[in-house]
Amino acid sequence: MKFVGESVNRVDGIKKVTGSLKYVDDLKMSRMLYAAVKRSEYPHAKLLKVDITKAEKLPGVKAVITGKDVPNRVGLYLEDKTFLANDKVRYRGEAIAAVAAETHEIAQEAIKLIEVEYEELPAVTNALEGIKSDAPLVHPDLGDYKWGPIFFPEPGTNISNLYKIRKGDIDKGFAEAEHVVENQFFVPHIQHSPIENHSVIAQMDPEEALTIWSSCQSPFAVQKALSVAFGLPQNKIRVISPAVGGGFGGKAGTTLEGIVIPLAMRVKGRPVKLTYGREDEFINSFVRQGMHATIKTGINSDGKIVAVKNTFVWDGGAYTEYGVNIVRAGGYSSTGPYDIPNVWTDSVCVYTNHPVGGPYRGFGMSEIHFAIEQNMDILAEMLGITPIEVRRINGLRPGGSNATGQIVEVCGLQDCLEDVVDKLGWEREEKKPSSKPNIYIGRGISCGFKAPSMPNNVASSAIIRINEDGTCQLLVSAQDIGQGSDTTLTQIASEVLTIPPDKITIKTGDTDYTPYEWQTVASRITYCAGNAVVKACQDAKDQLFELAQIKLGVPKEKLILADEYIVAKGNENKKVPIKELALGLSMEDGSGIHGPIIGRGSFIPPDVKNTDKTTGQGEKPTAFWTYGCQGAEIEVDIETGKIKVKKVASSFDVGKIINPKLIEGQVEGGILQGLGSAILEELILENGIVKNPNFVDYKIPTADDMPEMIISFVENPEETGPFGARGVAEPCMVPTAPAIANALYDALGIRVNSLPITAEKVLKAIKEKQ
Amino acid sequence: MKDFLYYKPKTIEEACEILTRYNGEASILNGGTDVIVRIHDGLNHPKALVDIKGISGLKTISFSKEDGLVLGACANMNAVINHKDILENYQIIAEAAHTVGSCQVRNRATIIGNITNASPLADTATPLLALDAVVEVFGVEGPREISINDFFVFVRRTSLKVGDVVTAVKVPYYKELKGSYQKHSRRDAVDLATVCASVLMVDGEIKIALGSVAPTPIRCRKAEDFLRGKKLTEELIKEATHRALEEVSPISDVRATKEYREEIARVLVSRGLRDLMG
Amino acid sequence: MKHKINFILNNEEITHEVAANRTLLDVIREDFDLTGAKEGCGAGECGACTILVDRKPINACLMLAVEADGKEILTIEGLSVNNKLDQIQQAFIDHAALQCGYCTPGMIMSGKALLMDNPSPTEEEVKEAISGNLCRCTGYKKIVEAIMEVADKTNSAR
Repeated sequence: MKFVGESVNRVDGIKKVTGSLKYVDDLKMSRMLYAAVKRSEYPHAKLLKVDITKAEKLPGVKAVITGKDVPNRVGLYLEDKTFLANDKVRYRGEAIAAVAAETHEIAQEAIKLIEVEYEELPAVTNALEGIKSDAPLVHPDLGDYKWGPIFFPEPGTNISNLYKIRKGDIDKGFAEAEHVVENQFFVPHIQHSPIENHSVIAQMDPEEALTIWSSCQSPFAVQKALSVAFGLPQNKIRVISPAVGGGFGGKAGTTLEGIVIPLAMRVKGRPVKLTYGREDEFINSFVRQGMHATIKTGINSDGKIVAVKNTFVWDGGAYTEYGVNIVRAGGYSSTGPYDIPNVWTDSVCVYTNHPVGGPYRGFGMSEIHFAIEQNMDILAEMLGITPIEVRRINGLRPGGSNATGQIVEVCGLQDCLEDVVDKLGWEREEKKPSSKPNIYIGRGISCGFKAPSMPNNVASSAIIRINEDGTCQLLVSAQDIGQGSDTTLTQIASEVLTIPPDKITIKTGDTDYTPYEWQTVASRITYCAGNAVVKACQDAKDQLFELAQIKLGVPKEKLILADEYIVAKGNENKKVPIKELALGLSMEDGSGIHGPIIGRGSFIPPDVKNTDKTTGQGEKPTAFWTYGCQGAEIEVDIETGKIKVKKVASSFDVGKIINPKLIEGQVEGGILQGLGSAILEELILENGIVKNPNFVDYKIPTADDMPEMIISFVENPEETGPFGARGVAEPCMVPTAPAIANALYDALGIRVNSLPITAEKVLKAIKEKQ
Repeated sequence: MKDFLYYKPKTIEEACEILTRYNGEASILNGGTDVIVRIHDGLNHPKALVDIKGISGLKTISFSKEDGLVLGACANMNAVINHKDILENYQIIAEAAHTVGSCQVRNRATIIGNITNASPLADTATPLLALDAVVEVFGVEGPREISINDFFVFVRRTSLKVGDVVTAVKVPYYKELKGSYQKHSRRDAVDLATVCASVLMVDGEIKIALGSVAPTPIRCRKAEDFLRGKKLTEELIKEATHRALEEVSPISDVRATKEYREEIARVLVSRGLRDLMG
Repeated sequence: MKHKINFILNNEEITHEVAANRTLLDVIREDFDLTGAKEGCGAGECGACTILVDRKPINACLMLAVEADGKEILTIEGLSVNNKLDQIQQAFIDHAALQCGYCTPGMIMSGKALLMDNPSPTEEEVKEAISGNLCRCTGYKKIVEAIMEVADKTNSAR
């Protein structure tokens, strides 16, 4: 292959290093108005009165809206949210009213003039409390909501989804197991912390057509949600995502667009902009859900796990329109990448009066693996085998079966495990002794896996147009949110058409002009959009061959593409440049046929089917699985408890590397994000209030925290993937935190069962052990 | 940000006059890294900002054995970190300044701003306390000096009066100065101190100052008194650390609990003393 | 009340009127459409607004525009002259030292300031110089490599 597999430079490099790329907040429009949002002061309260009269009278204020103006419920999987609160507020910070004004300052001033009367309600601030039968109900009307058929809410409770796995015979499994242990773990809320805060501009023209510029991962998902919320036809809603300054899931689905649109509708013709500040980003965009895990394991003395019973209780927050699917993913992946015959899992999504849980890189996997992978080490120690050995024994192999009973065909887990063990040399070399008496050294390993957690039938599409000079425009709505899809999709097109990447311009993210893409999420873009691009290019190629066979007098089957030419196989002198046929074939008599070459490709992952409603068992519940492993070496200061991560080795089976430089960078970024979640990050919640909604007290890693990173890959091709590729964007952060937790145990024999593993928790555990 | 008036006086007298006229409703603008954030976040609403960077002489850093170190009010942290005389004679001040914020922040933030904000965790406060620095002030009645030991009053409160402008901080010259600044924070780079400490041997006497363990940065006098004239041993360090701990009264907040702060204070004091032993 | 200020912005002499309460970041973004510098936090924690004032990196969100009077300001837009990328910009592309690109202008300006001040930094010095610039995508490794490459090139050219 000529272009796939090469470290092509990013196609968006120049505009990013020169600062010329315009993100939404960089856009300035004439007569633009600025929006501000009135937010709830209580985590749970009835709204008795929302009085906007004073705000409306403030000079410079052009529109004020409340929840009454946007009554329609929306949601990706469960329609439980309105863009502004109606009747009651369910978390502290929820939008109650919004203002559009001539300046940002006037909008802020107007917000202060909105008078809200509340009747405070008892709040649910812990998912384990929320699940109890006497807990206050966050959504008493849950039974009236609409949801997708793969979700199982329980009206009359705070449970918005109960996803079950029942594989084998759990009771028999435990009865026959030689050892049975139970462990508990907790993962707190964290936040994506993209450096770009959410931003949106909306404008309504005289034809009542809306244009929305949004820093969103998924323009078409936004278009659909807005269509439902505002009763507008989709052809009247144009969503443009000009650039996204980091998403990690936080900009999936819809967030703040629905607040700005009703304002834009009231000030017809004038654009209205809303840009979140960092505090809004922490509280009012999505957060990663908290999760309580209980894992009971039955294991035999030979190291084979025979039964596992998982209870995952998720703190879904005030609205779980998206969160229900994270819980589902946590359920069907609940064994981790291990082959266990008897499995019982309840994965429960619980409404609380906390910020809204949503997709976050890893989508449930980081959370459950923190529990699963520490549990594996606990089991290994109990049996006196190494953490590596317990994973060799139980880790999935081709032919094995996962939690859903699916027989796994392609699985490079063991290859990745051996790769990491080899790169770190742990089985060859003993730990080097520490040079300081207060510093202890630890080594920890963790496996991980993830599938794209999406509905089975989600679609992608691509269009390729060939220009007269042999250059191309590639149109997709897969969004480059930093992961590099603009570059890799271009490489894929290059490979099929033999046209080099610098001759292909990719355009994305404009629902009026670029073709449908479900969402840029789930580590699915290389696979799904990549397949659509392959198909579009093959379609173009097919059209070119139709014309070339006339031109060259060589049957279609005997034609190939080579270096921008259509060439007769075995007779290289018979050829025609692609560009000559770009606008159709010109005949000798001056007539022409066919016209411009426009390739189109559509793709839905083949044969993915729902699992059984009661057992969660199925043949092919996901498009693919990505497996991998990471090992971490850390230093711990036993006097302060502080951990310094020194080295992380990573290996993932990605099927086929499209761009080595980019994939390496993506994994490095995943490791640092995993490291942040391991030792630094937590949204500290007290009585429903976020105590640290800023970078002063919510610390994400800096360059100084970067460990040595050894990145490698395994390439067992994905049969249905483009050139054999599968996704790795999210999986690469999944094993990092548990590997660090396991390294801590290796260093000191202590286990911290909750994230983040702060210096304070470590020191406390050291003292307790003494 | 809410609107305010901006003044950039050329003389210290003028600055003092404007501040006095506003009677507490004007703030000094120096490096801006604190005051601008507070206005941005709506925590402060001054009617006016008085930018003192136009007053000549305030950027100066000077040193002589007779007068010691004079750090002008407008000398920024990076200027301090890289100053030859400071590196030679007061390395601990450079070390502490180096841990303040990021490189960008240190190009604007000043040591004088750091201490006049009077945060309990101000990085540069503990070395200045341990070195018995003197704060030079220009006020309504002209220039005066305040010992750093009398400067901090409470959380974000100093003994300065309306109209006062700190013009410099003076640090006496010491023939022998050993010891270092230690900071424990959640993240090593660009973070606030969970606890910070300056443990020094100054002309034969041990000085201990701690930050983020009380409403103000503090000197641990009891421990210092206990150690005076004694040669450090492991036993003495243990006892001195114990005495230092009697002088702290930390709080629990999002960064750490009271108990953890006490624990870290213990570690930093004993580490600091042990370093002096070697 | 507006203040008249004179300053040099990307090698151009400017006279401009600003209100006291506007930050330098707001003014360069809104009045001059130099939107490479971003506001990520408004508190000096993320470094997305990093620009050079008198050759030193600062957070433009923490400086009032009136304070720019008499200063020389360089933003990412002023770094490439006549459409030719600065070495450090090219190095960022060559090393894939950027992903979403939002931190990139600030990151490059911090790297540039370091190299102007210290043409042969150690890796530790590079890490320290950019530790006030948060990046959530890259894991920093390729950024450090890109800056080190420029340093190495400069040094070997001597």
